Amino acid sequence: MRRITGLVSFLLLICFLIACSTAYKAAAVQYKGYSVTNTSKDSSFITFLQPYTDSVNKSMSTVVGKLAVDMDKRQPEGLLGDFMADAMLSVAEKYYETKIDAAFVNYGGIRIPYVKAGNLTRGQIFEMMPFDNIIILQKVKGAVLKQFLDHIAGRGGWPLSGMSMVIKKGKAENILIGGKTLDLSATYTIANSDYVANGGDNSEMLKAIPQMNKGILLRDALIEYVQEFSKQGKPVTVTVLNRVTNAE
Amino acid sequence: MLSRRKFIQHTSLSTAAVLAGQWATAEGAAVQRLVILHTNDVHSRLEAFPMDGSRNEGAGGIAARAKLISDIRAEEEHVLLLDAGDIFQGTPYFNLYKGEPEMKAMQMMGYDACTMGNHDFDAGLENFATQLKQVSFPVLLCNYDFTQTAMEQKSAPYKIFTKGKLKIGVTGVGIEMKGLVPDNLAGNTKYLDPVQKLNETAEFLKRTKGCDMVICLSHLGYQYRENSNKICDVILAKETEHVDLIIGGHTHTFLDEPMLAKNKKGEDVLINQVGWGGIRLGRLDYEFMRYKKKNLASAKSISVGKKT
Repeated sequence: MRRITGLVSFLLLICFLIACSTAYKAAAVQYKGYSVTNTSKDSSFITFLQPYTDSVNKSMSTVVGKLAVDMDKRQPEGLLGDFMADAMLSVAEKYYETKIDAAFVNYGGIRIPYVKAGNLTRGQIFEMMPFDNIIILQKVKGAVLKQFLDHIAGRGGWPLSGMSMVIKKGKAENILIGGKTLDLSATYTIANSDYVANGGDNSEMLKAIPQMNKGILLRDALIEYVQEFSKQGKPVTVTVLNRVTNAE
Repeated sequence: MLSRRKFIQHTSLSTAAVLAGQWATAEGAAVQRLVILHTNDVHSRLEAFPMDGSRNEGAGGIAARAKLISDIRAEEEHVLLLDAGDIFQGTPYFNLYKGEPEMKAMQMMGYDACTMGNHDFDAGLENFATQLKQVSFPVLLCNYDFTQTAMEQKSAPYKIFTKGKLKIGVTGVGIEMKGLVPDNLAGNTKYLDPVQKLNETAEFLKRTKGCDMVICLSHLGYQYRENSNKICDVILAKETEHVDLIIGGHTHTFLDEPMLAKNKKGEDVLINQVGWGGIRLGRLDYEFMRYKKKNLASAKSISVGKKT
């Protein structure tokens, strides 16, 4: 018996020494990506969310208009971005009571990949533009505008309205503003969100330029633009004008 | 009861096996399992995408994600549930409630940790700090200095989780705010070099704290085609050591399989990211083997396979 106890103690000591001199290391990994689908749900989470959902629906389910076509977020140009840039230019011209040469939407600022044709709700516009961004006007020299357009080209193209350009080797070429070739020494009035005008999305070249700010939310401009169509009994239509294209 | 003879046979057999090779696989306890579940860029997608005939219809939502997670927990003993940031912004829920239901839902699902994305600044740092009061899991960041902001003392550089016999160190890195997060929202937050800070933190976790694995939750983005020098997860993996897994976010990248990269020392690092909107839940089933410490460095590379 003593021999056994002695042996057990000895083995325990060995095990202890081994444990101290060993460590764990990942040897194998198996991956899986679950598609989170509607089929199986935890009902306690539905119960939890319901009061929030009810009040969201109350304020967000209002239909503000109709879309004639599916609109998607795409580079160098897509219908959803075109729609947003058109809305920005049109509504800003109305409130600022001035001619705006071009309006821009930063591509990353569009927060939904597409909107289907048919009814458009206030909630969908919130998903498109969830940020409380304000439309800012700036008067910029053609040379600064060229820098900004090069930045846009380098990013693969952003939605814009009032102008067109071709992306060639990451730079903006064949720039037409209101149908005329960009003049580097002329002054242009451009519309951007305060986010971009303040240098957001690396738009440093705009940061120092004085801003006109009437406090109009870009999201409100989108809603108003859609409502304009509704008032005339028309669905929103967007036209691809090859505003931003890739060379070759 | 085992007879003495059998007992000795048994014990010496397993001891011999342990001593024999660098693989200490003879005992059941030598293999440790860990299941890592992860999300990123959920962007306030509390409900599933609407049934409107579009490609994401019916996907996502907290009720379906919670069910998946609880089913996995029922089968697996050791689970870590992690999020790589941008919890906030994207649906009207956030415009109305500023992140309250998002945080509450994550708490209910039992998240173990998250990091912070650029959009988690959107309703202000004070709001993020306020919403954090509803959760017991930490926000992990090793490269933001929140001194003199509402987030001061509200985040941690790392957390160590004990799962069975494993010690798992988790840390996080945030993206540079300049040119991305408006100045008024970033406030006094200082962005520190993620490569340097992650190297420091991961080395500390491995060497000083003796972690068996280091996971980095990253909101740097997977890769930037238009700016190949910009710091991203692919570069982070190459420039660091002591990090075993990077769970990424920001670029909304759907990786069909994790990317196997090599770190500064030529060791394996895995990078994974699961798109956005809670459309996908990532799962990584790790198997750990026990090695003698002196053989650890020469241990063979990790084998990566699809879970069936």
